[in-house]
Amino acid sequence: MITQTVTCPSCKTRITVQGNPGERIYITCPQCFIKGTFIFPEEKLITKTTVNAIETQNLTKFYGKNKGIENLTFSVKKGEIFGFLGPNGSGKTTTIRTLLGLLKPTSGEAYIFGRSIRDDIVEIKKNIGYIPGDLNLYGHLTGKQFLDYFISLRDTNATLLDELLHVFEIPSDRTIKEYSKGMKQKLGIIQAFMNDPEIVIMDEPTSGLDPLLQQSFYEFLKKEKTKGRTIFFSSHVLSEIDKICDRVAIIRDGSLVALEDIETLKRKSGKIIKAKIKENSETFPGPEDMKIKDNWIQFVVSDNIDQWIKKLAKFTILDLEISEFNLEDIFIHYYEE
Amino acid sequence: MSYFRIAFQTMKDYWKMSIILTLIFMGIVAMYSVVYPAFKDNLQDMASTLGMKFSFIRGLEYMTTYPGFLNMELYQIFWILILGMLIGFLASSLLSKEIEGKTIDLLMSNPVSRKQIILEKYLGLIPFIVVINMITLFTVYGVTVVIGEKINLGYLIMTHAVSVPYFLAIAAVGLLISVIIDEKIKAGIITIAIIIGMYIFESISLLIPDYKFMGYVSLTHFYNPADILISGIVDIYGVVVLIIFIIVCLIISMMYFDHRDIAVS
Repeated sequence: MITQTVTCPSCKTRITVQGNPGERIYITCPQCFIKGTFIFPEEKLITKTTVNAIETQNLTKFYGKNKGIENLTFSVKKGEIFGFLGPNGSGKTTTIRTLLGLLKPTSGEAYIFGRSIRDDIVEIKKNIGYIPGDLNLYGHLTGKQFLDYFISLRDTNATLLDELLHVFEIPSDRTIKEYSKGMKQKLGIIQAFMNDPEIVIMDEPTSGLDPLLQQSFYEFLKKEKTKGRTIFFSSHVLSEIDKICDRVAIIRDGSLVALEDIETLKRKSGKIIKAKIKENSETFPGPEDMKIKDNWIQFVVSDNIDQWIKKLAKFTILDLEISEFNLEDIFIHYYEE
Repeated sequence: MSYFRIAFQTMKDYWKMSIILTLIFMGIVAMYSVVYPAFKDNLQDMASTLGMKFSFIRGLEYMTTYPGFLNMELYQIFWILILGMLIGFLASSLLSKEIEGKTIDLLMSNPVSRKQIILEKYLGLIPFIVVINMITLFTVYGVTVVIGEKINLGYLIMTHAVSVPYFLAIAAVGLLISVIIDEKIKAGIITIAIIIGMYIFESISLLIPDYKFMGYVSLTHFYNPADILISGIVDIYGVVVLIIFIIVCLIISMMYFDHRDIAVS
């Protein structure tokens, strides 16, 4: 619904009208009773630089009384690899399925390239590639028949198909039911990218791939990123998010607990200091969250590292380790509360 | 966006099944028609023992004639009930198969609306209904000529033509169930139960005059091969009712599917 002010052409009275984009309405001027029509402007073509690839506002999905996701607000910038991290059952798949229109949101809004998933889902899908978490393909078709079917549904030339078939080799003349899990996953990747979509949404895409293939998939994604493609990558494997993503959202029990640049997140979380001292570990005046395990003192410091080293210096240090906080520690940190 | 691709794919998916079912029906038709000359003389005795006044099969009183025999043996049972059940069963898997098999996720990642999916899935089943109709028609006529019996070709063609909206109505019931019930087998059983239930209601209404009203809940009430094949009477109102029923089923299917969640089970 848009609101617009129209000026009467004869008496210049200003009239406020409401309607949908493209709608044609009849107006009678309240002053001079002149009749006329007004067509609401079509949705503004949004300039690509200003619009986020994905934007959600308080997106909520309940299955009856059970919570799927609640008040998710985040945005995915164009051209980035966005990691969506959370353990199984945290709401990753619900978020993705809601974005794709498979689930109807209970409340809140989501926009993909500026278009609302509630009103414009068919148009949105022209620009989306999708790899479902639980990938199921038509077993009775051959790989080639399946790809042909999906190309025909989109009415495109599948410009990237040859290139993809080169990177991800599949036995395209065999029926899909004969495929191994890895082959199916490759076919899933091919169909998601072949139409050159602006964004590819993936739900744990690496789960069926062997380590070698995972590696080439990461390389592939990095290359795709340089082409300007936006990638939404959900995973419960931290190391891969760490490896390829620019930013990460951490989801827990259906709510967002963190959304950061991966580097910032690591920096913020500081360093882990582990030390073994000759004296009784208990006597060290460490921070409140200090832990003692097998005589090792362990704590996290964010900015005042100097102060802690000097405190430690008063003891006899037997062993010392200072390590970078990795994503795993961050993750555990968010989940331990 | 492209149209009719899903319909075309659905047609291809059911192609093998269509051929098999068509061949089976050709066999059944041939069998019944061929045995008619041998049965002919005994039919009179059978007719008198059956006590036709309380018949629950329409057109049973004509069973001693060739068209009446075909009506009783073939059209009233194998055609409207058995083939109806098979078509209903196929239709009940149209969506449930994709939802249960989770292929719907990928299908719906394409720029096609949910309404379009429903409509095209339904359209994909129509060629089968038309083809099995035509082949059965040719077989009946061919065998009739071979065994030297007589049948009114015009009536025969009408019998088959009017069965198309009847089977489409059955398919629409199957489609509606397949949109609501996610498990393919469950959807199939429910659809078949509905079709058998309707047939029983119709039979009761024929058997007991006081319960005549019960016949109106059955789709078979609106398509009577006996009247058409034996006397050439086509129930135009019945055809209209069937067509309205089809449209209503399609609209409900589309609306329901449009609003439901495709959840992961």
